[in-house]
Amino acid sequence: MRLDIRYRCAFEYGALVHESQNELRACPVSDTRQTLLGYRVTTSPASRVFSFEDYWGTRVDTFGVREPHIYLEVVAEATVETKSTPLLTTSPMFEALRGPAFVEEHWEYLERTPHADWNGKLAAEAQSQIDLTGPEVVSATLGIHRRVGALLSYRPGTTYVGVDVDEVLERGEGVCQDYAHLAVAMCRSVGIPARYVSGYLFTDRDDTGEDVDGDEVVVQTHAWFEAAIPGVGWLALDPTNRQAVGLRHVKIGHGRDYDDVSPLRGTYSGPRNATLEVSVEMRRLAAVTSAQAQQQQ
Amino acid sequence: MLSRHAEHLFWTGRYVERAADTARMLDVTYHGLLGEPVAEARRGWLDLLDVLHLGRQFADTHQLVDARTVSNFLVVDPTNPGAIVPCVHKARENARSVRELVSTELWESINNFWLELQVRDLARDLDQQPYELYGLVRRRCQEVAGTATETMPHDDGWRFLLLGSMLERAEMTCRLLNVRFAPFTEGEDELGFHQAVHVLKSASASEAFRRAHPAAMTLENVIEFLLMSPTFPRSVLFCLQSAETELLQLDAPGRLSRALRVLGRRRADLEFADVGELLAGDIHAFLDEVQNDVRRAAELVAVQFFRHAEEFAVFHSLETIA
Amino acid sequence: MTTDLFDGYAPDDFFDEVFTEDASVRPHYEDLVARLRSFTPTELARRERLRDAAFRSAGITFTVYGEDEGVERTFPMDLLPRIIPAAEWSEIEVGLIQRVTALNRFLDDLYVGERAAVRDGIVPAWLLSSSDGFRREAFGVPVPRGARCLVAGIDLVRDAEGTYRVLEDNVRNPSGISYVLENRAAMTRVLPNLFGSLRVRPVDDYGITLLDALRHVAPAAAGDPTVVLLTPGVHNSAYFEHAFLARQMGVELVEGRDLVVDEHVVYMRTTRGLQRVDVIYRRVDDAFLDPVVFRRDSMLGVPGLLAAARAGNVTLANAVGNGVADDKAVYAYVPDLIRYYLGEEPILPNCTTYLRWDDDQRKAVLDRLDQLVVKPVAESGGYGLCIGPAATDAELAKVAEQIEANPRNYIAQEVVSLSRHPTLVDDHLEGRHVDLRPFVLTGEKTTVIPGGLTRVALRRGSLVVNSSQGGGSKDTWVLRDDDAKVDDGDEVT
Repeated sequence: MRLDIRYRCAFEYGALVHESQNELRACPVSDTRQTLLGYRVTTSPASRVFSFEDYWGTRVDTFGVREPHIYLEVVAEATVETKSTPLLTTSPMFEALRGPAFVEEHWEYLERTPHADWNGKLAAEAQSQIDLTGPEVVSATLGIHRRVGALLSYRPGTTYVGVDVDEVLERGEGVCQDYAHLAVAMCRSVGIPARYVSGYLFTDRDDTGEDVDGDEVVVQTHAWFEAAIPGVGWLALDPTNRQAVGLRHVKIGHGRDYDDVSPLRGTYSGPRNATLEVSVEMRRLAAVTSAQAQQQQ
Repeated sequence: MLSRHAEHLFWTGRYVERAADTARMLDVTYHGLLGEPVAEARRGWLDLLDVLHLGRQFADTHQLVDARTVSNFLVVDPTNPGAIVPCVHKARENARSVRELVSTELWESINNFWLELQVRDLARDLDQQPYELYGLVRRRCQEVAGTATETMPHDDGWRFLLLGSMLERAEMTCRLLNVRFAPFTEGEDELGFHQAVHVLKSASASEAFRRAHPAAMTLENVIEFLLMSPTFPRSVLFCLQSAETELLQLDAPGRLSRALRVLGRRRADLEFADVGELLAGDIHAFLDEVQNDVRRAAELVAVQFFRHAEEFAVFHSLETIA
Repeated sequence: MTTDLFDGYAPDDFFDEVFTEDASVRPHYEDLVARLRSFTPTELARRERLRDAAFRSAGITFTVYGEDEGVERTFPMDLLPRIIPAAEWSEIEVGLIQRVTALNRFLDDLYVGERAAVRDGIVPAWLLSSSDGFRREAFGVPVPRGARCLVAGIDLVRDAEGTYRVLEDNVRNPSGISYVLENRAAMTRVLPNLFGSLRVRPVDDYGITLLDALRHVAPAAAGDPTVVLLTPGVHNSAYFEHAFLARQMGVELVEGRDLVVDEHVVYMRTTRGLQRVDVIYRRVDDAFLDPVVFRRDSMLGVPGLLAAARAGNVTLANAVGNGVADDKAVYAYVPDLIRYYLGEEPILPNCTTYLRWDDDQRKAVLDRLDQLVVKPVAESGGYGLCIGPAATDAELAKVAEQIEANPRNYIAQEVVSLSRHPTLVDDHLEGRHVDLRPFVLTGEKTTVIPGGLTRVALRRGSLVVNSSQGGGSKDTWVLRDDDAKVDDGDEVT
């Protein structure tokens, strides 16, 4: 599926601020599932954007505005082609998770991190899924994925990043990154390497509440998770929507948790009471042949 | 030079000057009030607190007004930012922050001064030999100023140091005049010999004044001398002229900064003022205006030269909310 | 001559820097010992007071943490210098250059290269990425000429045989060089006649050498580069050193708030506007350098600094992320890294080190805790150290518990019986344990400052020499090559 994405973030500071410095992670990654066809970032006031690929393979755009300003808008526009993922054909057993080479390669995704730490209750929830599915990695991962969907109900604006997953579990509600963090923590608690994914989702649900005409939606950035399956690779699942990650998911990047792939972070000098407006517009494009795609690039 | 360094040097100059001026005034007040009746002494000490704009703060924490409580408040009280020991401490902290800019001699003279105050039994000094203590503070401050002049290159850093002390001194002299002459401008027309000597001594000006006015110690003469003497280094005019000279060097060539305009206008005003007219009018209002201008100039200097990052840079992180 | 200072002095069972086993004076100390014998204890005590006064008045202090508000103290310098003969030094020098060269290669390869040592299995990837000092945020940030450890402080100790061994590497922000320079200045003032005919190699060109190295790593585009020293500020324990070095180099000593980034270029704020900065010798820890990337609450850093470095518009020295090489578990692999990157045998050996994540090794170590030194991998300055033979049972039990809970975070080493040096205690001399921190600079080439900081454990029997743990220092004299006093008779046979 070919998608145009327009990520926009606007700050209104209410007073003059200066010396703003930022890092943006909004660019879709190119991998086996998707190909980035075009991308550009513009800011207002205008600034020089310097881009690089970080440790996790995510493109980062850095920019700053030193002069006093009262308003800052960042727009990232991307065109991306997503492909369907082949179905998993093997299903390794839990022993494979303990192979030294596998552990060594994935140890970063097995550790506790600030947003994906766990207590006994959370680990017990994860273990209960394995008790049901047996010591088989794909089934267990799917079990955890389903369990997360059942444990939480979706409530926009209920949490902010900084709430522990334990607390999210206690409350039983959250937003997409809470789902993703909970799934990541549950996987890791039973020894399945798991990572947090930031991205976009082309969805039927529109924030405006209006009917979607099918080709254009206004959404927010999204989050899901990936689990490492020995001998296979990463299995991507979206627990918020209780579905496997597919053609409508556009990945920006991954990391141990939210902090490694937060869409925008930065500093500025001035009063704290800024209002922030974020939107993601996604448009489905007509199918194009790959030759045409090459030309467009 | 770095904005922050300029600011530290400016404040080093101010704090050293403040400590010296406070010691001077304490010294003269203390000795002037020896043997005075209790009520007179009390009045004298309150006047001093007013000069230093510390009357209210003192009243908030003290009931008794006498030599011991006021001296203690103005010398060692850590809650009083204008007290001598805290001033020396702040001068040292400021100098320490620009340790690599001040000459080793200057640093050692400030640091040794501070260490000397640390090891002295100040309570005993205040009790038994305040004269010696005030003399020491005055001499050490002079030593600091002298060391700065003799060991630092006369570059921008030195200019900011001097600028700070000149603006501080101009303000202190205004305050001294403003409060000390209050009783006499409210009806009495003859300035008591005692009172005049007192004021002049506070400004270390009595010898210089007598040379300038060997015959008449009139109110008019004393005010004119402390306000407008072009040669006496503690007169308001002299301080403004020096500050102006330094600022002119600090500015980009051919540019008249706002601070310079404020100072220059006020300096010209004083230069051509007639003390008789001033006394006929409201001398207190005039002195207030002068002080306001000095403060305003200091603020403008800060805006022009010292502006650096705000104390905190705010972090914002955007959260996914889908 | 009244009382002989050396009366009753006993080297005991340790390697003594001055005396051989049969109590004769080592050749390179003969001149000094003869001169010392001409001093009465009273006279030496007077010189000590002179030294103290000189230090205090110059404000040569450091701050001890963990006490109220951080107390300022002077760092005591023992009046007896340590002497290293030229031949011995040249061996150390070559060994240090080798080690630092390998560390630079390793770090550059790790952060901007192909991670060859990891790929080829020399050092495990997980060990590096699990290190506290590893900075993912610094991935891809270049350093011109790969001079990541521009200033390195390599701690050396001498064992019972007199062999120099590396105790630890300090390639983040090693401090102490100011004491080296001030100690020398103090010695020449307080005991000028002690130098006698000895030809001691000077150390006072450090500032120039450091500035040269810093200018050398400037971004290519900077014609006449502007160098600054970034300090956390006046309340930092090493502030004295920061100010001292800035003065020695004649560069601005800046704090984070003095700098601002505009379009990925760093400027300092001056009374005459913004001025471009090309090289920052930063004495601020990684985590506080840039609140956009690292700790958000840091007021010590400069927002946007790392992006500017990444864009190649400014060079940070030392490089961000060097802490991975300071990790005491990674230290165990340095000899292998030397072999891998340089194809040479290490000249300076490590101390025998045990890693703790291997179950068998761990058990063996836990059984012998009372004979070993246990160190947290990420600490420096002697914090968190447990010396088995000196520890109580309760302390040992606690350490065992910590190891079990987090084996990656600890290493164990055989106790090195540090060499001793006569040290003035009241009115006589006693043997005190010493180590040596030479300073190694990498600019156009890698060079070693002659000598370095000899730290001395002032408490009797103590093996801990860190200034924060009650240690003192000694002036360290490296003799010139052509000096008649030098010979190779130093080896214990």
